[in-house]
Amino acid sequence: MMSIANTEQKPACTTGGLGNYLWSDPPKENKWADCVHCGLCLEACPTYEQLGQEQHSPRGRVHLIKSVAEGNLFVNEAFADPVFQCLDCRACTTACPASVDVGGLIEEARGQVRQAMALKGWKAMTSKFFLETLFPHHDRLHAAGSLLKFYQKSGMQKLVRKTGLINIMPEHLVEMESIMPEIKTPVRKKYKQEQVIKAKGVTKRQVSILSGCIMDVMFSDINEATINVLTRNGNDVTIPKNQTCCGALHVHAGDREMGRKLAKQNIEAFKDSEKVIVNAAGCGCMLKEYPELFHDDPEWQEKAKEFSAKVEDISKFLYDTGYAPPKAELNTRITYHDACHLAHGQGIREEPRDLLLHIPGVEMVHMPNADRCCGSAGIYNLTNPEMAGAILESKMANVPEDVEMISMGNPGCMLQMAVGVQKYGRNQRIVHTVQLLDWAYQKEEEQGSGQDGEK
Amino acid sequence: MGKNKVKTSDIHILNLAKLIFGPQAILYKKEDLLAYDCDGFTIERHLPRAVVFPTNTEEVSKIVKYCAENHLPFLARGAGTGLSGGAIPLNNEIIISLVRMKRLLEVDLENRFAVVEPGFVNLKLTNSISDKGYYYAPDPSSQYACTIGGNVAENAGGAHCLKYGVTTNHILGLEVVLPNGDIIEIGRNGIPDSPGYDLLGLLTGSEGTLGIVTKITVRILKNPEAKQTVLAYFDNIEDGSQAVSDIISSGIVPAALEMMDKTAIEGVEAAAFPVGHPKDIEAVLLIEVDGIAAGIDDQIELILAVCRRRNVREVKVARDEAERGRWWANRKTGFGAMGAISPDYLVQDGVIPRSKLPEVLARIHKISEESGLRIANIFHAGDGNLHPLVLFDSRIPGETEKAIQAGSACLKVCADVGGSITGEHGVGIEKKEEMRFVFNEEEIKAQTDIRNVFNPDCLLNAGKLFPTPGRCAEVKRELASKS
Amino acid sequence: MVATEPIANLTAIIAEEQLEAGGFNDHLLGNNGRITVFPKTEQEIASILKYANEHEMKVNIMGGGTKRGFGGIEESADILLVLEKYKGVIEHSPGDMMVTVKAGTTFQELQNFLAEDEQKIPLDPPLPEASTIGGVIAANDFGPKRLGYGSARDMVIGLRIVYPDGTIIRSGGKTVKNVAGYDMNKLFIGSMGTLGVITDITIKLRPIPKYESVILLSFQDGNLQDIHTFIIHLLDSVMEPTALELLNPALAKKLTGKSAFTIAISFEDVESSVRYQVDYVKQNIVHSANSSILEQSDARNFWDAFANIPPNGHKADSGNETKAALKIGVKNVDVLQIVKESQLLEDSHHLKVEAHGGLGTGLCKVHLAGASDDVVSAIQSLRTITENIGGYAVVTHLPLELRQKIEVWGEKPAHFFLLDGIKAKVDPKRILNNGRFVGGI
Repeated sequence: MMSIANTEQKPACTTGGLGNYLWSDPPKENKWADCVHCGLCLEACPTYEQLGQEQHSPRGRVHLIKSVAEGNLFVNEAFADPVFQCLDCRACTTACPASVDVGGLIEEARGQVRQAMALKGWKAMTSKFFLETLFPHHDRLHAAGSLLKFYQKSGMQKLVRKTGLINIMPEHLVEMESIMPEIKTPVRKKYKQEQVIKAKGVTKRQVSILSGCIMDVMFSDINEATINVLTRNGNDVTIPKNQTCCGALHVHAGDREMGRKLAKQNIEAFKDSEKVIVNAAGCGCMLKEYPELFHDDPEWQEKAKEFSAKVEDISKFLYDTGYAPPKAELNTRITYHDACHLAHGQGIREEPRDLLLHIPGVEMVHMPNADRCCGSAGIYNLTNPEMAGAILESKMANVPEDVEMISMGNPGCMLQMAVGVQKYGRNQRIVHTVQLLDWAYQKEEEQGSGQDGEK
Repeated sequence: MGKNKVKTSDIHILNLAKLIFGPQAILYKKEDLLAYDCDGFTIERHLPRAVVFPTNTEEVSKIVKYCAENHLPFLARGAGTGLSGGAIPLNNEIIISLVRMKRLLEVDLENRFAVVEPGFVNLKLTNSISDKGYYYAPDPSSQYACTIGGNVAENAGGAHCLKYGVTTNHILGLEVVLPNGDIIEIGRNGIPDSPGYDLLGLLTGSEGTLGIVTKITVRILKNPEAKQTVLAYFDNIEDGSQAVSDIISSGIVPAALEMMDKTAIEGVEAAAFPVGHPKDIEAVLLIEVDGIAAGIDDQIELILAVCRRRNVREVKVARDEAERGRWWANRKTGFGAMGAISPDYLVQDGVIPRSKLPEVLARIHKISEESGLRIANIFHAGDGNLHPLVLFDSRIPGETEKAIQAGSACLKVCADVGGSITGEHGVGIEKKEEMRFVFNEEEIKAQTDIRNVFNPDCLLNAGKLFPTPGRCAEVKRELASKS
Repeated sequence: MVATEPIANLTAIIAEEQLEAGGFNDHLLGNNGRITVFPKTEQEIASILKYANEHEMKVNIMGGGTKRGFGGIEESADILLVLEKYKGVIEHSPGDMMVTVKAGTTFQELQNFLAEDEQKIPLDPPLPEASTIGGVIAANDFGPKRLGYGSARDMVIGLRIVYPDGTIIRSGGKTVKNVAGYDMNKLFIGSMGTLGVITDITIKLRPIPKYESVILLSFQDGNLQDIHTFIIHLLDSVMEPTALELLNPALAKKLTGKSAFTIAISFEDVESSVRYQVDYVKQNIVHSANSSILEQSDARNFWDAFANIPPNGHKADSGNETKAALKIGVKNVDVLQIVKESQLLEDSHHLKVEAHGGLGTGLCKVHLAGASDDVVSAIQSLRTITENIGGYAVVTHLPLELRQKIEVWGEKPAHFFLLDGIKAKVDPKRILNNGRFVGGI
């Protein structure tokens, strides 16, 4: 952006480090140079709201990241703490008058931290288990899913809860366990034999879906709903076989190398797709940001750019391409929670609301601070349970009393909000936007075909 | 989170940690302190000795007493959005952060006041009472983040103070911890004019040098029945400034009357909240009138007529609240938006009699040419409160100094035409030498005499607000080297 | 001939015709001087103070003399500094909506001057023909329209002050916003001349409203609950009254001819807006109230008459009647109680009582007249009532003899040491208006 006249200053080397960043792919100078330290981001930040401390605020983190580059700070534990306390919710990017990419800086800084030192203790275990052992491997995820399914169906769940075995689990895991969705058959397994799931009626477009790692195991009904809604609106759907986890959780955790690996696999897997439809906001955001991973690799960056241009969230895709609003009435009062990576990450706010409002009988109650993070933030609720819990508490305080459902567009949020509902004795059902739409279509079909009309 | 585990050999930090409760209630490691080395003014940076986070007045008082007894310099900090460096620890201070004292303690609509703690964010007050049709008038551009405690310290202004006044006009009572740790209360129950010298007025705008405010009673106002907002584009900055004067002298008191010049427009349009201002115009005016609906149309007509008489290119009235909101977001995020066209900026805050506007803008333009630095102007034209934003790149050696000189030259121009060096940002560190542009030695002494009544040992926020005395004045300002 | 020596010395500073041996218009209010000086320039003021300070002579300051009954426990100081000859507009810039004026200018003269440009100082203090602008600012005086426009502290933007040692200090400036250094203006506004002599004052102006009306609501049956209900409703509406003043029956009788609790509501704006608001009030009044409307010059005449009701320290009190005035500050809605309690004093204390209070500002003024003992007892009674509801009462007019008995400012506040500290720094020899302010400052 600006040319630096004095080139004998500290070199901003492209392959090596910068200041005290000694590893490849350091935080980019042009990202922090836009920050003028005005502070308008402070109140947008959930961790600042909780702690009131600058180092846990967006501009504070940017300041620290910059300080390392300027040689005033080292990449160490004390630097890692604020950098990893960040939820990566991107609310600061929305609030920032200069649109500073704080999220991008945080991820790059985490990359440096991870290369500088290994994780220890509980966090390391959790992180390693989910990120390395589980998510990138469909087979293992499915196996885990089956295990969970077994756990739920076999009566073992009841046993664990009854015997008090549950009492020896860490509290946040107990909370998690209690809201675990019922495990159904993953769509990848279900549609294994079908190359293309054909549109109902005339085919207008061909799209591919990202089935997701955890989504397909824990929330396969949402994938199912997504496919239904797409085919219902004239889209042939494919589920490319070689796709894998989007890598968002890895990149959030600083494992950019794994992120790149997964990105490459996905870019290849969706090579022939025209459109990549995503129903998980966090994944969608990551896919759109693949080019950020390849600053040092122009060839792949080019490919990543092409790929990213094809990615679209399901709600925006339906809104943009036109869809048939359902005719059946759902008669329910709902509220809508903006997933961070939808609202702040992708700027998608109105489209899902529009979809919901066009379902007959759906009444939407405004949730104050709807775009405030719920504390889920990938696996943040597992690695930083106390902070996540505090943030969830403020979130739940904003959920209107008199609604039956809370709709949103991200599975991570769904789990966290379900914990919230359970923990604070609320009774709302947690649904994905596309599920509501699918139910309305199903009802419409029932009413259209069945003689008995109303269920 | 959890209890305070403090590992340090600094006995004062260990002792201070015992005086306060709450998670991470004291910061003392360099990595944590680094984020406290500046506020919204980033040109000078100094590390504090520690940062403490009290949650009530008694804790503040205990900390202050401890500091006073042990002769430790200390200062108070709110959100740290101040633009003159008032919260920068020049003397390795203990920073008393008030952000955890953020409760809204009382709202009394019948008597039209609210009581807040100092860490309560400005905009949250209006948000908390807007459903009942009330609001808090002072609206600095940083109101999304800045605290009311900070507003009191700086006597913050805002876009709407043309009609409604600045912070001092809305403060009815204060609870203050004096630099010796004593707690005093001035103005009770929101009742004005309590007998005695007007300490409310004196403390408001004292930039944290007289005491630490721990509770604030503010006046709240009923929302006006109607608001109309006008955007007017001028091809010529003279016409724009003349229109400002004409509107005021026509007998209208607009709620706000804001102006941006061409460079500023380039910045806000490149940033997060563009509204589609034409790129080739020289000045845009944002004019808002409010009050009784029945009277507003007449005023709008008058404003439109004035603008046309001054050769306006295009003038439009906001169609709805959403459009009005977009125009204001575009204006209010203007400073931060400069990040989109320049890596650094230095904002000045000169204020002049309105009628000198054309002359002063021309002279600022000249300063820009001579310094080779771009200067954007975003300002409260109705108040004559200029905000020249000197754009620079601190990575280029010498450019920071050049920017500071250009900023100072702008202030000299303001002072020369009978104005002042700061309208709402405060003197802080930034403009303490420029105080001499407007006050002589005796006048400065009159003020430091008052400070010495409250703050005799000068432990509280020392080195701010007043120029270095006597012969030290020529000593060149030391700049934190940024490269 | 004790007095001649200082006079002889002062003639070196100031022309002889500007000096008078003896006090000014001797009467029961005190705050006089053994020599009276009429400076015409700021330099003369500075020289006189410097001389007085060097010789540790006490100085009383006076503008129009309307507030001679306000504070102070001495019959005479060494010098009475009368500013009535230090007068005139220094600068008026209509485009900048501000005026700079010398302190001795009477308030009415100044308003008349500004009216030529359709502008005004948005203050409506009592006794504008005799009061000087300097006196109004030094005493922080105000009228009912404070609700709409604020008080002196909201509109004074710059001052020149002569300090006791003769140094001339500027505070503020000529801009409507200014945060350079401490807001020293505030220190002098309402300081009762105990810190310095205000010489020049720069004030923000407002346009004279295009239209104004007063709606008078009288409540014949004296049901204060009805008034309360109505006021809460009006204050919660979007109407923008510039005054909302409750009058006790005696005062209402004097001003409107009707003896009943009355609310005077003033609207000032463009005509359409004023008419709309008057209509709103008419539609929302309770049944027990009668309304009448005064427009334009009738409205102005009403407020002019209103401004002339308090006791005037400029004129010597006559007769056996003791006159007193109080300023009482309470929460807005408690004004009802204060005006009611004041009314009750008529019978309980056999006094003439004129009381009024701003229902949007919480500030009341109560005028008492009657036997000395009754006045004193009534003051104490009102003060007790006020303090019980968290307010304060200041006696703003009382004969010297009674001021020596009653603490007119009330008890010292807990932070008195700061007030005294300020006085001690600025006026270490305590020569200016000694003993005239809170706690004997």
